Amino acid sequence: MAGTALALTVTMLLASPAGFRGAQSPPAVAQDDPAHRVNRDARVMAEFEERIKAYVSLRRELEGTLPALPKDPTQQQINAHRMALVALIAKTRAKALPGDIFTKETRALFRRYLARVFDGPQGRELRASIMDENPGRLRLHINTRYPESVPVASVPPQVLQALPRLPGDLEYRFIGNRLLLHDVRAQIIVDFFDDAIDA
Amino acid sequence: MRRIVATLTLSVALLWLAPARSASFQIAAQTPAAASAAQAELPNREGTLKFAVLGDFGTGSREQYEVGTQMAKVHERFPFELVITVGDNLYGSQQPKDFQTKFELPYKGLLDANVKFYASLGNHDEREVQRFYQLFNMDGKLYYTFKAPKQSVRFFALDSTYADPSQSAWLEKELDAAGEDWKIPYFHHPLYSSGERHGSTPTLRSAWEPMFVKYGVSVVFAGHDHFYERIKPQQDIVHFVTGSGGQLRKGNIDERTGLTASGFDTDRAFLVAEIDKDELYFNVVSRLGRVVDSGIIQRRKR
Repeated sequence: MAGTALALTVTMLLASPAGFRGAQSPPAVAQDDPAHRVNRDARVMAEFEERIKAYVSLRRELEGTLPALPKDPTQQQINAHRMALVALIAKTRAKALPGDIFTKETRALFRRYLARVFDGPQGRELRASIMDENPGRLRLHINTRYPESVPVASVPPQVLQALPRLPGDLEYRFIGNRLLLHDVRAQIIVDFFDDAIDA
Repeated sequence: MRRIVATLTLSVALLWLAPARSASFQIAAQTPAAASAAQAELPNREGTLKFAVLGDFGTGSREQYEVGTQMAKVHERFPFELVITVGDNLYGSQQPKDFQTKFELPYKGLLDANVKFYASLGNHDEREVQRFYQLFNMDGKLYYTFKAPKQSVRFFALDSTYADPSQSAWLEKELDAAGEDWKIPYFHHPLYSSGERHGSTPTLRSAWEPMFVKYGVSVVFAGHDHFYERIKPQQDIVHFVTGSGGQLRKGNIDERTGLTASGFDTDRAFLVAEIDKDELYFNVVSRLGRVVDSGIIQRRKR
């Protein structure tokens, strides 16, 4: 049963963005009919949230296959558990590419949302806050660890308010002007895209 | 070293401690030249809450160990029961061995004396590792609150690196529910700082300061800029930057900001404090054991 659910989740994650959207989109005729006009932004957002849910579900399923951590784990045990989880995620998402979760439409929507905040009265301060000790341009890979020993740029509350809320174990991060989806539990990069904000 | 006389405001009064105020405790033989007449003292009374504040320390450097030794020396005479950390608890590699060389060994004297550390996290800290580290007492949380073992005091350890709306909602709820007289938030990025390198964090300030004002916060501790600075009271709240527990950015305080009540940016330092009813006494102690700032903060009343 768990295996079936896992397979279903993996299928959802690996499905092409077009295929995923196709399954959720209303019939073409609805777009031409004012009575059934679709809020495209809301639809893009709903689809993004579905992909997030699918990732979290996958991660949970995979973690469930690992021996549970003891109540008061040592640093070594936490580390070993995390490494095992990363290996499972990397294997299961071996074909994942940048843009699987931040699809083209999601990227466009996020850039618009962020531009609204950064073009506002606090824009300069927000940019300064994000660029404070920002590690700058680094080579990033999906399913790999957030670069070790590199400080993280802070993400101001105003920026987080502008973006869809994520489940507790996922966070947005900036590296340079790239926006990352970071799995804090596994400490890996789930997805990222360039030019989220103007440099 | 720079020192600027504090400004008095309506409800927060900062007073230099006079030598005659208490004879029970003196943590350093000499205060800096600018305040040579004053011997900085803490009351060191029975039943008060005694704690230390440490920030930006986990380098593993000789200077960090020297600060740790100095803290242990102070603890022998002024037995503070807990240390709050304002982040950047470990720099660079954060493997299990690093927790020994960058934390457990430098503060062995304090840990052996059962002093508890309550960490908040900075932008150099690996969140997923540190929040589960037993000696940081975070209980797996990135932000949390705890009641102090003595006096009417509650601390709020916040995550300023990822200040999401759910944290702000949690903070408002907890501040509102807190029945303690003293509500003390601490976190990494300072709302106010004269650091040339980093400086104030206005984006965070606009989110959190209104809550601090509304719920009667009197004092806030932060780090990030690698020096010690006491800010002139802002909205009747005293902000401290205590970011030189191991790191140091010499000469980085920019006095042109007009924010500085007192500063020390020529050596590492930590802060010790004592709360007795409506008064918070503090001393800031350098790596070499000099008291570089001291004073009393009166609690704001809502």
